[in-house]
Amino acid sequence: MELKTIFEAVVNGDVQGTQNLIQEALADGIPAETIIHEALIPAMTQVGCLFEAQEYYVPEMLVSAKAMQTGMKGLKPLLASEESTLSRQSNPRAAFGTVKGDLHDIGKDLVVTMLEGAGFRVTDLGVDVPPEKFIEAINDGAQLIGLSAMLTTTMLNMKSTIEAFQNAGVRDRVKVLVGGAPLNQAYADHIGADGFAKDASSAVRKAKELLHVNEVSQRA
Amino acid sequence: MNSRERVLLALNHKEPDRVPYDMGGTVVTGIQAKAYSRLRRYLGLPEKEIVIVDILQQLAQVDDDVMEHMGLDFRNISPRSTASFKIELKLTPDSRYSYFYDEYQVGWRMPVDGGMYYDMFAHPLMGNITEDDVDQYVLPDPLDPSRFEGLREAARKVLEEEKRALVIGNISAGIFELYLWTRGFKDGYTEWAENPTMAKKILRKYADLQLAYWERMFEVMEGIPIDVVQMADDLAGQNGMLISPASYRRNLKPFHKEMFDYIHAKTDAKIFFHSCGSIRPLIPDLIEVGVDILNPVQVSAANMDSAELKREFGKDLCFWGGGVDTQNAFDERYTPQQVYADVKKRLQDLMPGGGFVFNTVHNIQGNVPPENIMAMWEAVQECGVYRH
Repeated sequence: MELKTIFEAVVNGDVQGTQNLIQEALADGIPAETIIHEALIPAMTQVGCLFEAQEYYVPEMLVSAKAMQTGMKGLKPLLASEESTLSRQSNPRAAFGTVKGDLHDIGKDLVVTMLEGAGFRVTDLGVDVPPEKFIEAINDGAQLIGLSAMLTTTMLNMKSTIEAFQNAGVRDRVKVLVGGAPLNQAYADHIGADGFAKDASSAVRKAKELLHVNEVSQRA
Repeated sequence: MNSRERVLLALNHKEPDRVPYDMGGTVVTGIQAKAYSRLRRYLGLPEKEIVIVDILQQLAQVDDDVMEHMGLDFRNISPRSTASFKIELKLTPDSRYSYFYDEYQVGWRMPVDGGMYYDMFAHPLMGNITEDDVDQYVLPDPLDPSRFEGLREAARKVLEEEKRALVIGNISAGIFELYLWTRGFKDGYTEWAENPTMAKKILRKYADLQLAYWERMFEVMEGIPIDVVQMADDLAGQNGMLISPASYRRNLKPFHKEMFDYIHAKTDAKIFFHSCGSIRPLIPDLIEVGVDILNPVQVSAANMDSAELKREFGKDLCFWGGGVDTQNAFDERYTPQQVYADVKKRLQDLMPGGGFVFNTVHNIQGNVPPENIMAMWEAVQECGVYRH
């Protein structure tokens, strides 16, 4: 019963309600991990669907993400003591940033939130990220690199970033996912990216597809 | 037919001799300084220092010789910053960014290496705020006389000597834009869904600022016919609206209506409204609140096909922009032939019956070669003529 109401509170962007309901659920003995996997994550998946259907827009998505993150913050400390799929070292690792010269982070932030919600371990490299920083992240074990750009002028730096991966000899070790307003599949193909996503929700789908992961953090 | 006559016919949905041509008539229909400097050289015009009219977007002032050469039909008159405010450009300690704070205390920065624009990094109303914080947040004085110095004389010159159409700029970005700039994008969007009462309190403050400004501007311009008033609010992105149409109608549309009603009551000027992106779901609302001209007509955004827009809304709305697909047919990746072909198609879509001013989709960016700018210009000279 609580799980369904927590799910709804997140979808409806009820930040306080989400927190209260989670406290009730924990008091009833429902494990933190169950709350995450059976309420929070499915809720964000639902939010993604509503966004794609243009029933939700960026503001509604951000409030739901806030509810989810607030909930997660309370639950994460409890996970350490549990045998958690979410903290498993085997979960896929990704690093995201906007490319050199680009300072626009809303889209990238949403993708990071959605991916974390889907169980990825994501390093957010921030904005205006030079190729060397991405290469460092690859050397640290990132399997997926996400490049974001909002301008036709800065998206050109995606190409040089991918070229820098080649020159550093790390290109074959990662999948590269690109996104941002001016991009399309043709441009992604042209610069040799592995995938393109047009919004945060399809980015999650694409990321799973590229790494051949199946519902990484969801229970069977 | 002089420029102003041409423009007035077009804006009243009649066919003039040719499509009116704008470059630099507003801060959203201009040209970036690097592209402008290359264009001057390409046209064989004398080397000169480029004057920046919009520091954020690094827009160049379009000089008289270029206006003459290209046959441009518009001249922009914009308010100045108050004399008491001076932008101080500084360098971050790591020397990566040049930055400054504007009159609204919004912080802007641009990468030193290869930067083309300033982007925001600091917002005065960011984080958890109360209604008191909003009340205490001090806006610049919209009535400061130094804002309006020399504008009346400049406007007279545009109308009487140049016989170009007169466009008057706003004091700031649109009220929703200013809300996001001062509140910060993440906090602003979240609040839009979570606490619209606070959002509307902030919008009220900015609408009052703009109304006070327009009241004074119309006093200053008493007896001078203003042709176009430039308003804006970016409400859409590449794939759809940034906010829900329902939330626009509830929270923002009443402010737009109030401001546009005021402008229409005070002048005969047409209202030019700028919103990037896939704005189509709101076009009927914008027409309803008194928008006469839509810009930039981002033909590459979802559901923004130029032929469809003209068919569906051309009777009620002028299009100012959409003349070339800036994202997919204009920059250094494309040949002049590709540019020409795209411009020709847009003209066919948008010019019949008037109601169209030629302009790119948004400012000409820094990576557009002069060959492409002039291929676009040639296409308008050859295909933008009305045959009566």
